[in-house]
Amino acid sequence: MMAADTPSGSTTAAGSTDRFEDVDWDDLGGLGLPLRTGLLVAVSAIYALVVTTDVFLTEGSVLSGTDWLFVLTLLVGAFFVAWPLAENRRLTAYYWRRFKKNRAAVVSAIYLLVVFTVGTVGPWLIAKPELNVIAAYQPPVFVSVDSSVPSACAGAVADGMCHGTWKYPLGTTSEGKGIAKLVVFGMRVSMQVGLITMLIVISIGTVVGTSAAYFGDLVDEVLMRYVDIQQTFPTFFLFLIVTYLFKPSLFLLITIFGFLGWGGIARLVRSEALQRREEEYIRAAENAGASDGWIIRKHLMPNVSNTVITAATLLIPSFILFEATFAFLGLTDPATPSWGQVIASGRGDLDSAWWIATIPGVFLFCTVLAFNFVGDALRDALDPRSEGDA
Amino acid sequence: MSMLWYVSRRVAWAVIATYLILSLTFGLLVVAPGDGQTAFAFKAATQGGNVDDAKETFDEITGRDEPMLTRYKNYMVNMATLEWGWSYTRNQPVLTAISEAYPYSLMYALPATLISIVLGYAIGLYSATHQYTLTDYFGTFTAFFGISIPNFWFGIMLILVFAVDLGWLPSYYQTGKGVWTLANAKQLILPIIVLSTGAIAGNMRYSRAEALEYVHADFVKTARAKGADDWRVLVRHIFRPALVPLMTILVADILGLLFAGAYITEVVFQIPGLGLLSYKAIVQQDTALVMATTLIPVFIAIVGNLLQDIAYTVLDPRIDYGGR
Amino acid sequence: MSADPLLSVRNLKKHYPITKGILKKEVGRVKAVDGISFDVAPGETLGLVGESGCGKSTAATSLLRLEEPTDGQILFDGDDIVEHGDADLKAFRRRAQMMFQDPSSSFDPRMSVGESVAEPLAIHGMRDRARRRRIVEDLLERVGLSAAAYDRYPHEFSGGQKQRIALARALVLNPDLVVADEPVSALDVSIQAEIISLMRDLQTEFGLSIVFISHDLGVVREVCDRVAVMYLGEIVEVADTETLFSDPKHPYTKALLSSIPTPDPSRRNEGVELSGDVPSPSNPPSGCRFHTRCPAVIQPEAFDLEQAEWRHVLDLRLRVERGVDASDIREFLVAEGEAPTPEEVPDAAVARELRREFDVPQTLSDPNAETVLSDAISALVEGEHDEARRTLNDSFSSVCERDHPELESTSAGTSAACLRVDTERRIDPPPTS
Repeated sequence: MMAADTPSGSTTAAGSTDRFEDVDWDDLGGLGLPLRTGLLVAVSAIYALVVTTDVFLTEGSVLSGTDWLFVLTLLVGAFFVAWPLAENRRLTAYYWRRFKKNRAAVVSAIYLLVVFTVGTVGPWLIAKPELNVIAAYQPPVFVSVDSSVPSACAGAVADGMCHGTWKYPLGTTSEGKGIAKLVVFGMRVSMQVGLITMLIVISIGTVVGTSAAYFGDLVDEVLMRYVDIQQTFPTFFLFLIVTYLFKPSLFLLITIFGFLGWGGIARLVRSEALQRREEEYIRAAENAGASDGWIIRKHLMPNVSNTVITAATLLIPSFILFEATFAFLGLTDPATPSWGQVIASGRGDLDSAWWIATIPGVFLFCTVLAFNFVGDALRDALDPRSEGDA
Repeated sequence: MSMLWYVSRRVAWAVIATYLILSLTFGLLVVAPGDGQTAFAFKAATQGGNVDDAKETFDEITGRDEPMLTRYKNYMVNMATLEWGWSYTRNQPVLTAISEAYPYSLMYALPATLISIVLGYAIGLYSATHQYTLTDYFGTFTAFFGISIPNFWFGIMLILVFAVDLGWLPSYYQTGKGVWTLANAKQLILPIIVLSTGAIAGNMRYSRAEALEYVHADFVKTARAKGADDWRVLVRHIFRPALVPLMTILVADILGLLFAGAYITEVVFQIPGLGLLSYKAIVQQDTALVMATTLIPVFIAIVGNLLQDIAYTVLDPRIDYGGR
Repeated sequence: MSADPLLSVRNLKKHYPITKGILKKEVGRVKAVDGISFDVAPGETLGLVGESGCGKSTAATSLLRLEEPTDGQILFDGDDIVEHGDADLKAFRRRAQMMFQDPSSSFDPRMSVGESVAEPLAIHGMRDRARRRRIVEDLLERVGLSAAAYDRYPHEFSGGQKQRIALARALVLNPDLVVADEPVSALDVSIQAEIISLMRDLQTEFGLSIVFISHDLGVVREVCDRVAVMYLGEIVEVADTETLFSDPKHPYTKALLSSIPTPDPSRRNEGVELSGDVPSPSNPPSGCRFHTRCPAVIQPEAFDLEQAEWRHVLDLRLRVERGVDASDIREFLVAEGEAPTPEEVPDAAVARELRREFDVPQTLSDPNAETVLSDAISALVEGEHDEARRTLNDSFSSVCERDHPELESTSAGTSAACLRVDTERRIDPPPTS
């Protein structure tokens, strides 16, 4: 630090002064853009370039549309969630301490982290489940079933009962596909649906909500009326119609739910923005000479984001359930391995091969439950106003 | 500005929304690649021999030979006058198919709705007034369970346990067992359970949150201090003000959650109601039936929202009609 | 005063329109600040006092153009900032800063306090992060906190500490003027003293001018060189602190001062009680705005009542103007047991009750006034509202409700806006204050 109490101020080696009264406002000097913005711009450019090349300029894509969207989601998460958390470590620690109080949520968070990792990395490491009629109807390990059920038992047969093996730890389906593999691939599908849709919903919802709050009057009125209309549409049925008329795919599901489901978030963002605008620290920033853009970026957005993150996290379970439901009904792309699909395939064999319908459902249930616990705990940790009721 | 003005505005709004949805679906129908019914029509046309003639007949049958605007007009008029076309898979008018199916839907949906409302609100209110007790935790747990469990999987699990393993209840629905009979009741138990769990959970959470706001309110403490007993406090001071927002979600609730849930329930349990009708139509590519059965819930949702908005403003004295 | 004033406010007005309907038609105005003028010299602390709702906070935000003034001139160092464009306004912001009232909400909960204090530096172009940090750490130490406080968040500090941080934020741009809006009102009395002492030290060290807004006269007496008293959007008295406290000229000032609790038992119960309702700034009283509550309101020439009696009579008259229903009084008396039904309540009892409610004696000291009053009351009791009103209005009106007093210099060397002061004005030109 510098020498204290020197009335004329002291100077460091760089020639700048450390006392506020000695600042020469006409001669400041300074660096360029902060590090994060620079990186963000660079990465966005690279991403845009790669995607355009892959999707539009080359024959056959390396990654599907959904996968590219997933990459985008991960990048956005890294820049706008992980980076700020790492930067403001004290604040993150504070939020974590509050989150930790909810033990169910902590367990859920760990589970979700595992699912996320396995779902993202797994499908690269293991091969896609293949049709294998001989291996159909194998029971899971530690389970035994009457040996007439599988066409050929892969494990030991004793007392007319076929025993499960570690080769197919969770058993196989009627097509001989390993359920464990299907679970892993299903994890990716669920993760993609949940996270990508969340991204779309947050993006559109935030933009619309802040615009409505900021511009007010006619813009506000028009946007909110539109949101009213959009919210009345039951998305479920609209999607039914669309899948019936067009070719179903995961991409279509994600885009439709994303582009029709942001209304709630927009309303939330708008009301939060309107409330925060009246807070005194916004006045203080104006007083310091901040422009509107500065205030929105540095004060409104971060403070609104708490509520938005919570609301969005609680939306993810619905998206995952929707996808599973449509997969169950057979209305999605049959080539996409989804938990709902497996459950549907096992429905006819409930009396013999009950594990086919049961096991993927357990994972589905746990994942949705985990998101709900985490979302609830996030609300308690981030949103102080909810601290009135349990 | 008055209530009447507000109500008429909302009604006009609902009409506009309906119109928009119909136009949207028409647009989708037009741009969609061939669907089953048109394929059927095409086949019927080609069976007449000459391909070109067939094309003409085809266009005639499906109405594609007319200019877009006429088709649009016809579509709208038909929709409005309940001329919803012909279901070629069931060989009957769409309207007849629907009227045959909906009683089955009501059979389980009505009891499920009633149960979910009554139970949901009751548990929610009880939880709010007895916070931190075992019942409260149990209630919260049930809530999480209810909204997280996938309906279809829950149904299948119930079938697995109660029908396949224990054999107490039938595993799927069969018609011909009467309406008010024990046999019919037995085969409706599982569907009702499945349908109500999700709705109970939602209702419970909401009513608990609403009631909590009032439980801690000063005026309730005043009532208690004056010596009012618990029951009176509950009903008069908590339930009544909480009723307003509760009523609003009541209407939207019934329609939104339950329709989608009912769809699944019928498919899983093979109940020949509207949901299963619609599903089979999709699978068999019966376009007219598909459109009708998917649009009905949409319209009912619009009407429901309308009623909800009106109910809300009528019941809540704090809202000023002029400002809207 | 040799130097030019640093801040010179002339006839500042801030009105808020009241709108109705979708087209937002203006149906009225809330005149929060309705024409105030004052000067602040370099290095001086000017106090701005008044009750809640008198417009002092609005004056603060308007004079810094945090809200756009409806009218008036604000001359800062010679330039009228009302005319400034964006660039000039931003430069002005560097020279005039505000300290906010509520320490809990004036900091962004998601930013560390160091970042909050450093924010003005960043806004005005200082990009060097390390430099900002050094400056802020130094400043935090000078307001009595440690440099380590930089990384902590607002919720980790007490109210008093947060106000120190607020002070640091107000100073970080090295302004010439600080407008402090109730800076110590939210704090405990013991902490108040610390903050005030800190402010005084910093003021001396850096030659700051301060506009100190408060409703607490005790605090104002400690801190300010001069004081301006506001009532309902107007300044009613301006004086040097000691003069104001020892020889107040405006009746409102006197009332305010008398409400300060004193530990001297012989001087208790000297408080001036203000009667009547507090008017609303959307509909201020005519003439002198204080006339509805002023204990020193001027009588008509025709009468010679005791001042207290006159005040009560005026209260009664104003209330009757708004509408008094004799049947309400009758019902009240029935409840009190005077008579079994409202019709059977004797007129005399009603009249008596009416007088009693306004502390008007049963017989006024001036017989002429008494005649008029009893006529009016009789008319009222019989249900003749209009006649009663007219009688009262014709006879019992005060010059205070017709003429609007301007700030005039008084014998004590202060300025006060009161018609009584007017009449006391000396012939020779008063010294400027």
